[in-house]
Amino acid sequence: MSRSVKRQRPRLPPWLRNEKPLGRILVVASAALLVTIWWAWARTNSPLILPTPDAVVIRLRDYLWAGRAWPHIYITVQEIVAGFALGSFMGIGLGTLAAEFNIARRVVMPYVIITQALPKFALAPILVIWFGFGITPKIIIAALIAFFPLLENTFLGLTTTPALDLELFRALRASRRVTLLKLRVPHAIPAVFSGLRVALLLALVGAVVAEYVGANKGLGALIIVSQGMLDTELMFVAFVLLTLLGLTLDKLHGLAYGLVLRRLYGKTAASAGPASRVSV
Amino acid sequence: MDAQPAGSGRIEVDRVTKTYASDAGDIRALDAIDLDVAPRELVTIVGPSGCGKSTLLRCIGGLIPPSEGRVLIDGEVVTEPDPRIGYVFQRAVLLPWRTVEKNVLLPFEINGRPTPENLRSVHEALEMVELGEYAQLRPAELSGGMQQRVAVARALVTEPSILLMDEPFGALDAQTRDSMNVELLRIWQEAQPTIVFVTHDIGEALFLSDRVMVMTARPGRVHEVVEVDIPRPRTFELVESDERFWSLRHQIRTALE
Repeated sequence: MSRSVKRQRPRLPPWLRNEKPLGRILVVASAALLVTIWWAWARTNSPLILPTPDAVVIRLRDYLWAGRAWPHIYITVQEIVAGFALGSFMGIGLGTLAAEFNIARRVVMPYVIITQALPKFALAPILVIWFGFGITPKIIIAALIAFFPLLENTFLGLTTTPALDLELFRALRASRRVTLLKLRVPHAIPAVFSGLRVALLLALVGAVVAEYVGANKGLGALIIVSQGMLDTELMFVAFVLLTLLGLTLDKLHGLAYGLVLRRLYGKTAASAGPASRVSV
Repeated sequence: MDAQPAGSGRIEVDRVTKTYASDAGDIRALDAIDLDVAPRELVTIVGPSGCGKSTLLRCIGGLIPPSEGRVLIDGEVVTEPDPRIGYVFQRAVLLPWRTVEKNVLLPFEINGRPTPENLRSVHEALEMVELGEYAQLRPAELSGGMQQRVAVARALVTEPSILLMDEPFGALDAQTRDSMNVELLRIWQEAQPTIVFVTHDIGEALFLSDRVMVMTARPGRVHEVVEVDIPRPRTFELVESDERFWSLRHQIRTALE
């Protein structure tokens, strides 16, 4: 619709003028710098304090090859997915209720704030007592921490429909249900997806930290075990796996959002659609 | 799209007053407005901003209730939005996730499952605003003027006997606005709805209307109703070479000062 004004750019070689390759180059360069610093620092320390990056990579390869990482990854992914699903369901559901009914907002919100004010990890020990060392307490913690951004963003998305759009629907004699389904929900989708992104990464944090309190499998449990064995290398292997897991989940979220936007906005998804997702 | 049956589309505004409560006491947005609009007539309302012209239009459309007085459509009191009325707002208010066709289909979709006949009406309405080829595009792919034409098609698609237009072309550039006005007259001839058109542009009001209602602000009152006896069909050349245009323009401008 609107053509963007051409900005004046300093004269640069062509490969530097485009932001995308330039961004990639800067990412790789800064990563290389960080790894170098890590490596230099590790050299002056005992491997018990800080293993070198190459040692971590070799250990990671061996660990994966031996097939010992997968059970941990599998458990943690299960907790994240289940916690995220449960948290999303609660967050979107409560957010919608709060946006639709003032009375729901008044009754539910105090409880919501209480669950958020109480440090959820403080609940982990009691959940272990109630539900044991299995994945249930981890799912509950992940869900509790994941649902709040979704509640907020769902509420925000559903209550910021432009006034003139609502007036149009009123002029067309739309029922409350039709206005919700055909106007307010589609309008809320970018906000909800932004909440889903935060919730997904918070679910990961929730699952891992809950594993610290009492678990025999999972990447968080692996970190605690390696601490007990003073196996810092193994701990770093878990860090790397968690990072890769987080990046993968975030990428999946991006793909899903892209699909939804293209379905709604067709080829205007990039320009007209609120494509505002900070991409990796 | 057939012409409306004779005698339908009459609007009677009967001593309509609208007050809003504010911290500084009640604000009188409209003060005892009287206006009768005949079927198929095109009446414009001009006035300074804040004179309540949009408020009056929303009262006629049943979007807000008057504090006193009443509005009648074909002799019935208006209490809520009415299917005999089509609305065009200051912005096109198109849903960006719907194609042009689906946006124009919206009035049918809101009131039930659309039929193949509804879809035919959508295409007729799009043909009428000369956007037939753009049915599958999304609003973001259209210019501002085209978007507002889609809004006109959406208002016309249910064949309302009354079209209420609230500064519909105010956000467009001068050339686009002129061509939209020419098109509006053509559409008015074809579909023959009663039109009440709010604007702050005196030239636009005179070009379009049979009568111009001039309002003054605070409180919103009818200053005068001006008959525009410039012959139809009108073009900008014809209208602007007509001295009645200039004298009426002068008269209204003086009234607004």
